[in-house]
Amino acid sequence: MSIRLSTIWSWLALAVVLIWTLLPLYWFLKNSLLTPDEIARFPPPLYPLEPTPAAFFNIFGLDYEMADGIVRRGSGQANQIIRGLGNSLIVSAVVTVVTLFVVLPLAYVFARLDFPHKNKLLFAILLAVALPPVSTLIPFYAMYVRLGLSGTLVGLIIVTLTITIPFVTWMLIGYFRNLPQVERLARIDGFSRFETFLKIIVPQGRSGVAVAAVIAFLFSWNEYTYALMLVNGTTANTLPTAISGFLFQHPEPSHLAAAVALTMVPPALVAFFLQRHIAEMNLVDPVR
Amino acid sequence: MKLRVTAMAVTGALMLMSGAALAEGGLEAQSGETVFFRGWQYKTDIVQDNVDRYNNEQGGNVDYATVTGDYPAIMEQNLMAGAELDVLYANPSQAGRYFDGGWIMPAEALPNIDAIKADMYPNILDAWSYKGQLLGLSYFVSTRGVMHVNLKKYYELGYSDADFPADWDALYDQLYEMRDKGLDQPFLPHWINEWYGISWAFDFEVMNRGGQVAHPDTHEPLLTTDADGAAYKTLEDWKRIWNDGLVPEEVLTYNESSYIDAYASGRYVFSPQQLYDLETFNREDRSQIAGHASLLPYQGQSWGLLDSAVYLMTSRERSDGHTDDVKRFASWYGYQDQTGNVFVGNRWMQESMLFSGYKSVMESEAAAERMKSALAREQDIQAVLGVYAATPYPKGIWSVVWAEEFNSWLKETLQEFVQDDGDIVETIEAINEEIADLNKKYGL
Amino acid sequence: MRAAQRTAELSNLQFSLLLALPVLVFLLLVVAYPLGYALWMSLHEISFFGGYKAVFVGVEHFADVIGDRKFKKSLWVTVRFTLESVALAMVAGLLIALVLNRKMRFAGLVRTIVILPWCISLYGTGVIFSYLAKGQTGIGTAIAYALGIEEAVNVVNKQWVIEVLAVGNAWNMAPLVAFFLLANLKTIPSRLYDLAAIDRMSRLETFLNVTLPPLRFTLFVFTCITTVLSMKLFDFIFVLSGGGPGTASATLTYRIYKESFKDLDLGYGAAMSFMLLALILGTTLILYGLWGRREARSI
Repeated sequence: MSIRLSTIWSWLALAVVLIWTLLPLYWFLKNSLLTPDEIARFPPPLYPLEPTPAAFFNIFGLDYEMADGIVRRGSGQANQIIRGLGNSLIVSAVVTVVTLFVVLPLAYVFARLDFPHKNKLLFAILLAVALPPVSTLIPFYAMYVRLGLSGTLVGLIIVTLTITIPFVTWMLIGYFRNLPQVERLARIDGFSRFETFLKIIVPQGRSGVAVAAVIAFLFSWNEYTYALMLVNGTTANTLPTAISGFLFQHPEPSHLAAAVALTMVPPALVAFFLQRHIAEMNLVDPVR
Repeated sequence: MKLRVTAMAVTGALMLMSGAALAEGGLEAQSGETVFFRGWQYKTDIVQDNVDRYNNEQGGNVDYATVTGDYPAIMEQNLMAGAELDVLYANPSQAGRYFDGGWIMPAEALPNIDAIKADMYPNILDAWSYKGQLLGLSYFVSTRGVMHVNLKKYYELGYSDADFPADWDALYDQLYEMRDKGLDQPFLPHWINEWYGISWAFDFEVMNRGGQVAHPDTHEPLLTTDADGAAYKTLEDWKRIWNDGLVPEEVLTYNESSYIDAYASGRYVFSPQQLYDLETFNREDRSQIAGHASLLPYQGQSWGLLDSAVYLMTSRERSDGHTDDVKRFASWYGYQDQTGNVFVGNRWMQESMLFSGYKSVMESEAAAERMKSALAREQDIQAVLGVYAATPYPKGIWSVVWAEEFNSWLKETLQEFVQDDGDIVETIEAINEEIADLNKKYGL
Repeated sequence: MRAAQRTAELSNLQFSLLLALPVLVFLLLVVAYPLGYALWMSLHEISFFGGYKAVFVGVEHFADVIGDRKFKKSLWVTVRFTLESVALAMVAGLLIALVLNRKMRFAGLVRTIVILPWCISLYGTGVIFSYLAKGQTGIGTAIAYALGIEEAVNVVNKQWVIEVLAVGNAWNMAPLVAFFLLANLKTIPSRLYDLAAIDRMSRLETFLNVTLPPLRFTLFVFTCITTVLSMKLFDFIFVLSGGGPGTASATLTYRIYKESFKDLDLGYGAAMSFMLLALILGTTLILYGLWGRREARSI
């Protein structure tokens, strides 16, 4: 009897979790299948009455002919969407790689070795986690105007690194600290410190490294604040700023919803990858 | 001295030459450089199609994209930064500031400027001129804040056209009548959260009531605090309808998109909207009030304000050949194409009933036909033209360098006034003070 | 071999510097430089318009910020928003973690679904919650009408807008919390639960005595992380409410954005930024002093 009760409870809890997660998503993404006429309806429809995939064609600049012969024209923002997709992929890939190169040795050193002034240096890095983007935005903006970096991918990449590096360092320190203490054994086997790090620690901690990569990817893929100010309306426009143009004088909520769905595809793919590895992570206090 | 004269002569000759080249070579792009064209989001498929036509027929290399967020602020930063930007949309209130910043090249630089000016209505030419120069070419002209009425709901409540309110006072009185008839929120005010939202709502209501925010030439503050003054009555009525719950609170967080969708859903009777959106609201595939979207006619008091936009050319560093291409494209896009047709202007009239600053667009047969088909009723054409003809332009606060600074300050001040039940006299005095401060800041 | 030996003889400090120095220099460039620049700006009156000018004004901006009525209001909005966001994100994160920790079919699929909110940009989250909560498009309105109550249900108002923002923010952050808590839950040996069953502990007692203790440290770390993320948050608020209605949801980040980017008052905005930075660091240190230090010791 009590087993049955607890089963009911756990199913109920699962249902609550799924509703919490999916309801907001559903409520917005259903717009991608609505016609402009249905979107203008009040009260808002609970579900698409005549679902149409037109918006998914339109955002790539393709016309779509509806069953009643009305043609839904391709969006004039298609160029931006496509360019934004490319730029976002470039920025995210570069940021991810650079972040890993920078962060792996740093986190390793802080996690495994003792040396003077370690905590002070560590604190300086963690301070960077606390920096609000709106605060560094001003200096970056003023600086970029003078250096000619505003509206460039390089500029955006540099600025995104200021978010990913401190955060991922924080995560990886805890992870590296929990790995088995193998340095001494490795040194007896004749490995140099560099070799120990590259050939033993990194492979051993690869799931942590993978997760760090995914997190860096997500942070830069979703970055909007810097992009809004630094590359909006330029050829270095990223996807989040490109899609933000659908809600203005000629509202296209269905296009926006379709575009948001599109932006979810790469993260959803990595999420599938992430969920297997992240359960193996163990984060503990980076400042002892 | 002699050197300067020579330099001027050389510059003049160069300008003549480039003008001649433009005239000879027509509007075909020649430098092979990319021309960057930026604007806010409005029917981007049409814009892209226009640009494609130029690129195909005139060998152009024009790159079009939209800029989102706080458009004036972001554009200003792009201009300041000398970003890749050649032709852009702007409201006249921004154009003057950009000109003072030295970031734009006035339309006077075009070789066919005399023909362009001759085709423009004098009042529009005046609105778009700053310090004696025409700044840009016509994108659209409209009355923003024309009072839309949803006839279906209006008739259901037992009213007829004869009951149409003649001015703001009468309108507010009618809202209370409607509430007594069971409609709690009949009015969707222009208090939205765009940069032109609640601040413009104040600007136009003051002008409609016969007031002036600032002097058109000296820009000194003109609002008065007496209880019969336009500003006082405006704020008094705002306070009243807000405190009595006649206004849906969420309108303060609306963007343009939500504002249009909310009115198109048919929930409201009155809303000050864009004149050309009569076409949008009368479209079956976009609106729940298609065939019922009408407007209050001019009955002695104007409605809204003259909202317009121009295509500006930037003055960023480019080669002369590149700059000539910018001029060619701007001229093709903002005035006549290679066949002498105001292609883009006419197309906007046909697509969305956007009015133009050019007589050749507005006075054509096609324009008359289009207006007829876009409106709910035959007599609405007269109402549209009547309201449009009487629309005021706030030169005092727009044709001035601090226009957008004041606008953004006013937006926040008014939002707080409404929400925190602010003091009317104090608010008016604060507005006057802000204008005086801005005048001092820029030495006006 | 000789080379390897020589490397092995490097002291910890030398090796650490060798690995960390390039990184530290990079961080210095990308973090410390803008920070210094911001400090410089906060002490100057800067005007871009009509030619770039910067006039030294000392601590005038800081004094002005402290006396600024709008700043005080924003400070309170930020605190309220952060408290609610963190509490919600931690509770939701814990619940999700407990659910995911159960053995079930399609566990991989469920885990992928549950992590989706974290994969959406804050711009997307802003739009999603704006559609969900506003009276015109909201789910509350749709349900009210379906039940025959003909009234729009709008929660993006002066009274509730901060709660709407907090829920959206928590929705976005909860999966991150959940997955790290899950990692900890996996380390609890199942025999502890068997022992608890023998001791006839109630479900609540089992939760408090067996499940919670190993989670406490992660809970502390993520309370810090969610606090910092919430106080820094800008894009989501910008999209959902634009600081409104009025200034009801104008957090410090929104206020800084407005001062710096719309009014081009860079010095004043920078001064305000330092206030926010102090708030973030201060809160984190207090959390560490009151809670983290204890948890760190008990590990």
